[in-house]
Amino acid sequence: MSPLTLLFLISALGLVAWVIARTRARRFRRVTRQRFSSLPQHHGWYVALCTVVPALTFLLIWYFVSPALVTDAVLATSRAALLPPPGFDRAAILSEAREIAAGRAFGAFTPLGQALAPAYAAAQARFDTIGTVVALLLAFAGGAWSFLRVRPGFSARSRTEGLIMWLLLAASLVAIATTVGIVLSLVVESARFFRIVPVADFLFGTHWSPSVIDPRDPGAALGAVPLFWGTFFIGAVIAMAVAVPLGLMSAIYLTQYATPRARRWMKPLLEVLAGVPTVVYGYFAALTVAPVVREAGSALGIASASSESALAAGLVMGIMIIPFVSSMADDSLAAVPSAMRDGSLAMGATSAETIKRVLVPAALPGVIGGVLLAISRAVGETMIVVMAASGTATLTLNPFASTTTVTKQIVDLLTGEAEFASAKTLAAFALGLTLFAITLLLNVVALMVVRRYREAYD
Amino acid sequence: MTETLVPQAPVSTAEIAPHRPTDWRSHAMERRIRRRYTAERRFRLLGLGAVVVSAACLAFLLIVMIAQGYQGFVETRLTLPLDLRDLRLERSPERLKGPGADLALAGAGLERAVDAAANRAYEAEGGAALLSDGAWLRVRDAIKHDPRLLTHPFTLALPVASAIDVAAKGNGTPAAERSVAKLGAHLSCGAAWDFFTGADSTDAARAGIWGALKGSLLTMVVTLALAFPVGVLSAIYLEEYAPRNRATDFIEVSINNLAAVPSIVFGLLGLAVFLGTLHLPRSAPLVGGLTLALMTMPVIVIASRNAIRAVPPSIRDAALAVGASPIQVVSHHVLPLAAPGILTGTIIGMARALGETAPLLMIGMRAFIAAPPAGFTDSATALPVQIFLWSDQVSRGFVEKTSAAILVLLVFLVAMNGVAIFLRNRFETRW
Amino acid sequence: MSNNPPKMTASHVDVSYGTNHAIRDVSIDVYREDVTAFIGPSGCGKSTFLRSLNRMNDTIPTARVSGDIRLDGEDIYAREMDVVQLRARVGMVFQKPNPFPKSIYENVAYGPKIHGLAQSKGELDRIVERSLTRAGLWNEVKDRLSDPGTALSGGQQQRLCIARAIAVDPEVILMDEPCSALDPVATARIEELIHDLRGRYAIVIVTHNMQQAARVSQRTAFFHLGQLIEYGDTSDIFTNPRQERTKDYITGRYG
Repeated sequence: MSPLTLLFLISALGLVAWVIARTRARRFRRVTRQRFSSLPQHHGWYVALCTVVPALTFLLIWYFVSPALVTDAVLATSRAALLPPPGFDRAAILSEAREIAAGRAFGAFTPLGQALAPAYAAAQARFDTIGTVVALLLAFAGGAWSFLRVRPGFSARSRTEGLIMWLLLAASLVAIATTVGIVLSLVVESARFFRIVPVADFLFGTHWSPSVIDPRDPGAALGAVPLFWGTFFIGAVIAMAVAVPLGLMSAIYLTQYATPRARRWMKPLLEVLAGVPTVVYGYFAALTVAPVVREAGSALGIASASSESALAAGLVMGIMIIPFVSSMADDSLAAVPSAMRDGSLAMGATSAETIKRVLVPAALPGVIGGVLLAISRAVGETMIVVMAASGTATLTLNPFASTTTVTKQIVDLLTGEAEFASAKTLAAFALGLTLFAITLLLNVVALMVVRRYREAYD
Repeated sequence: MTETLVPQAPVSTAEIAPHRPTDWRSHAMERRIRRRYTAERRFRLLGLGAVVVSAACLAFLLIVMIAQGYQGFVETRLTLPLDLRDLRLERSPERLKGPGADLALAGAGLERAVDAAANRAYEAEGGAALLSDGAWLRVRDAIKHDPRLLTHPFTLALPVASAIDVAAKGNGTPAAERSVAKLGAHLSCGAAWDFFTGADSTDAARAGIWGALKGSLLTMVVTLALAFPVGVLSAIYLEEYAPRNRATDFIEVSINNLAAVPSIVFGLLGLAVFLGTLHLPRSAPLVGGLTLALMTMPVIVIASRNAIRAVPPSIRDAALAVGASPIQVVSHHVLPLAAPGILTGTIIGMARALGETAPLLMIGMRAFIAAPPAGFTDSATALPVQIFLWSDQVSRGFVEKTSAAILVLLVFLVAMNGVAIFLRNRFETRW
Repeated sequence: MSNNPPKMTASHVDVSYGTNHAIRDVSIDVYREDVTAFIGPSGCGKSTFLRSLNRMNDTIPTARVSGDIRLDGEDIYAREMDVVQLRARVGMVFQKPNPFPKSIYENVAYGPKIHGLAQSKGELDRIVERSLTRAGLWNEVKDRLSDPGTALSGGQQQRLCIARAIAVDPEVILMDEPCSALDPVATARIEELIHDLRGRYAIVIVTHNMQQAARVSQRTAFFHLGQLIEYGDTSDIFTNPRQERTKDYITGRYG
């Protein structure tokens, strides 16, 4: 039975349970006219939930557990004895057999994969049947048990609400599960990577060329310093050189000078910049900005001017970040007590003087926090650099030269046809872990700065 | 900026020199004030300049995309005289409406007949090579629409090959330009409906966005089905019921951090967990939707919490005081009042997910897929990924296709954000 | 006043918010046929005490209530007491009128609906009409029951809130300074209403207005700094207070 049919069936059972329990509870009410804590539909809900929730919970767990059980069952067959020892080859054959069994692939590259496919299909079918039967049994058992509890005095409402409360708690635990999932997957894969490549080589090596890895010393070609530099150069230097002045001045103009009417349409206009998908910026950078930048570089007499320059990617990234900086600066300026502004104006200072000497210094911590958040955003930005920056890693200060970034390399490493467990693929996870750690740190520091600043004026 | 705000009257000398009131009308003073006003104007212009530059960037980007993209919605057609009376059909022309007509026509050698007609009519200019690979499909559809075409000669405007199309729009190679000049009046323009109904193709003239769009829609369905309930439920829990303790704080910190995690990291998570551990099908909208759901959920949680928090406590008190249970207070009063805010946040989060590319690259939704996905587990690509793939194509015909696809994506995003803004303005209540 | 057993009894009640002790050792009996007024200067804890009578303090996480409060002899803080049913039996009207942003009809019908008090639409209509009539609002709103409750004037909104409380047929109605946000005319209407409702429900009203307490109540409790200073017949409290502090407050020496 397909998962969707099963889901539908269980939901239908729940509906039936709801109707039956409600009808029964209604009958009590006709007999005695006293106040109950629970209405008939509460009883209905209680029985319906007792029918559906255990079955669904079981299915969810089963969905995660059964692939491992199926694999175990296949490994227990006689043909599986022919499999190579645990390692990459074995995993490849098994995954091939699984694909064939699921009908997603039709031929196998390895004869063994083809041979194991029937065993896989059989085991899969067996465990699917077990899952279906148990889920339906649970649904019936839950429904019957709860139905027997439907009595006039039974507080179905508070029981139902207790169940709902658990549901709510479970929903909010998804966030934790995601965080844990991210950290675990990054850490586990990175740990495998660091078993092949020493941490020091990765973090402090200055040579990055994953296309030619010497199997005896993989660390020599996987030094990530040029990537860190490129990321910093594009995201924190060039992009911020564009975004901070434009964003800050825009915020100042919009909060201090613009008439409310002008502000009403200018602000959304800026926000549109943030809503444009990054792939569009990437295309814009690669197709329109990069050639112009290269021409400009050549005109300036820079021989190494590349059409995959750091400048093109950084400029466009800066444009993308403008609304981000501007709205953070906007908030910070708005948080400065108006008494400060009035005090300065009352002394005969002009608006510009007030802004430069009173408002901006007072809002500075908030602005800095906003810039840190913007850097974190720029550092994690992927599509612009994937489309406009280069794939070759160079340590250079020249903005016209080609530069690469961490995110660009992650994409490059993972979209080649590399096997899942090679040093190259694993390197992407190590880069991902570094990226995650850096952005997390930037966010935490930025939020601390902003919060402290807010407290100062509360 | 070294000037001071007011002329300084040094305190130390004041005791020595007799105090004189500041002469505000002195020449030096007036010049100074003028200078300060100039600085004021300069600063103000600088601010306006920043806004204008930012807006100009946006305008420039849009103009570039529209200038390149509008041609993607237009195709060049070549008028071709056709005479298909010799076609050996296995069924009578009257029965060409039902199923199997496609096969019957293809089997009768329609493609060859069209090519032959092109070779006859335009031998000097390039013959069949002038036409798009899919041109005969148009003839097929025309015949299916009106089987009597098989009984007499007729002319039909058919889409031209990508190189000719590009040249006709004034951007082609010299050879193609020459062909276009020779063809002259035989060329015409028409709306490229195939662009909206086709899937990816190696031939720019046949490439369409429907496959990618459908992939995006399926992905968004999965994302919405997961992120919306989970996001709203956890927002309710955190805002209304969660006890204030360490565990709750941890949940909150996780959610706030997830909102700031780079999208590509979610792609890595999807790759490691959904593909690596759970063995879900690669390149499928299901996996893409799951990954984007994890990314969108924090956005929905944060927006929903703000909306729930904005519901005044007096409403909760009122409901509690007539004996509503905590769950009833939320489901009868708080949620309906917070719904506009929650929906607005959800739409904005979904718009972001729709434009997202990087995580989908990680889970393999970048394959060349020539047929629209039929279900959630079929291989698929998504609209932004399609844009990325086309942008890498060498063939010139893909430039306008890429920009046209971008325009379609932008139209979707503008529509979604428009709905969000409408909801906010229409239902926003100030308490 | 009467020999009937008290409707609610509170004995040795302490309420605290975190480390802040708001109410100390208060014991009071509330009778069904009386209107009981709590008076005292601002911040004396009378509202806090009122909120502990239908466990509205439960909504404040740091609030702690100890002591013994009983409704018809049942301990309302007992584990087996369903707080939802308790609040249906002990209704509350707040300082600021807080109608739901729904229609007038829905406002009143809400309580009966969630408690399942009406078996049919007609029965629900009758409950709404009866409640609005008792709250003295029926004639003013009968033609516009589908208008939003928030469109009414402040005094009407407050009477709507009273109608909403009456609709679930409570035994006790707690009123937390119900007139403090209203103008004198609206206040007079509410006071009349309280007078009319007397006897049908046990009413407890918190007020900082002594004239109001004297006008509407039969029994008065004077709170000061979280303690119950004096509790007795209203006429006694106002004409012949036993405690010096009560006398000082009533004669306007502080407050």
